Amino acid sequence: MSIDDRRLDELIVESKDLQADAMRGSASRLADVGDFAHDAGDRRPDPEQLARFNEGRAETGRRVFAEMGTGTKLLAGGLIGGALATILGRPASADEALDVQILQTASSLERLAISTYSAALALPFIAEGNATVIAFAETTRMQHDEHRAAFQAMTETLGGPIQDFANPVFQQVVNEAVPTLTGPLEVVVLAAAVEKVATDTYLKNLQLLEDTATMSLFGSVMGVESQHLAVLRAVQALLEAELPDLIAIPTDLAALPAAAGSASFPEPFETIDETMIAQPESGAVQ
Amino acid sequence: MSTDHDHNQDPLVPSEGRSVMARRALIGSGVAVGAAALVALKGGVSLAGNGGRAASASSVPDTMMTDTSDAMAAETTAAASGSGDLGVAALAAGLEVLAVSTYQQALDAAGTGALGEVPPAVSEYVTTALAHHQSHLEAWNLAITDNGGTAVTEPNATLAPVVTEMFGAVTDVAGAAMLALELETIAAHTYLSAIPLIQSPEYRGLAGSIQIIDQQHQSVLLFALGEYPVPEVFQSTDKAVAA
Repeated sequence: MSIDDRRLDELIVESKDLQADAMRGSASRLADVGDFAHDAGDRRPDPEQLARFNEGRAETGRRVFAEMGTGTKLLAGGLIGGALATILGRPASADEALDVQILQTASSLERLAISTYSAALALPFIAEGNATVIAFAETTRMQHDEHRAAFQAMTETLGGPIQDFANPVFQQVVNEAVPTLTGPLEVVVLAAAVEKVATDTYLKNLQLLEDTATMSLFGSVMGVESQHLAVLRAVQALLEAELPDLIAIPTDLAALPAAAGSASFPEPFETIDETMIAQPESGAVQ
Repeated sequence: MSTDHDHNQDPLVPSEGRSVMARRALIGSGVAVGAAALVALKGGVSLAGNGGRAASASSVPDTMMTDTSDAMAAETTAAASGSGDLGVAALAAGLEVLAVSTYQQALDAAGTGALGEVPPAVSEYVTTALAHHQSHLEAWNLAITDNGGTAVTEPNATLAPVVTEMFGAVTDVAGAAMLALELETIAAHTYLSAIPLIQSPEYRGLAGSIQIIDQQHQSVLLFALGEYPVPEVFQSTDKAVAA
């Protein structure tokens, strides 16, 4: 059946009219950011920004090494930990605007996602496998490329050089992992890890950013990455239940296991795993 | 899946118990954004009132009070000033009340057989989403009450009568899922719309952490309805209600 949502839409349109001046579209946001960058000139992160960013670094380092020591769930934890150790050894640089660093690192994560899905699509058991999974991987790769372009455009608008390489920390992990993948489930787990890194990094960034237009962009992209993550978790649950035929659109709703209704969101709030986020300078242009 | 999450979903656990467990789960995680917000509140961080942040903020107060938030202001002392972070918190809480009540109606309707055969995954989803929105409501109300306001207990006054009418027309699982999808979309769009208006970094984090869950709820609902689960390249704010 269908429901008549016209009245809700009417209310929303009225509401939108009222807030139109406050919230603008992406194009105008970019223009606004350009104005802001021009006004700000050589904008640098203020001491409070840097302190906020640096505050958790020591703790993050301790946690990374603890994770490595216990050999826990972290995907290729040693690699992540080792690379992060180098980064964590450096204090945040005060000679670059933090927002630009964050945008550059976001671009590097989008490059990472694009390369990960490309690698996955090249694997025989994916390329010759479930058609819905292939369509999802191709569509998601395209969406990440759009995100990359948006982050790069915002970087330029803020006056910084664009980042067009994959995040070196996490790319190394992916490079090490891909040759070891033997089936769709492992690919899905890897892709989910990449989406988790992006989602949580962008969520963390919402607290660090000062520029409101950049904040809106991060929120918008974060909302989509989180959906990629949700889909991958659901697919993972179906693969683990050995129900690959249900990975289809449309699916057989009645045949889905109960877990399919909750596997996509393990917590009521998105919880940041500090060991699985890209620190602002980790993908910054040197 | 964590034990805390299971407890949060357990309909046998009283609401008060779920609230406590939700706080424990958040605070226990140590790194949760939501936890940071709650801990910050306990540490005396206040919700911002009127006033802007950054260059564009000067236009915010004039646009934050709308028909919707006016209604919220009538319902809660917290929103009496109707602007700033407190206004956003009150608006969010009103949307969460609406979501909780709608999912509860769906659960009740399913229990009586009014929706026909309900697949196990749908039952699980409704129970989970209900618990999530209850946790979100409690988080916002904690923010409001710790800053001297009164907890929001009434649904968004503008949307509630329409949703009630729409629910009256629902006769099956697909109809309930479409209504839920509409509510989740409104909520996620509203959070995204509000994030750049929130002055407190902790509360921006809280709003973002909830926005994510509402987006993910949409994906599952879209999948259940036979539609592509990630339909937008960029999340929009098309259906946001004004903060």
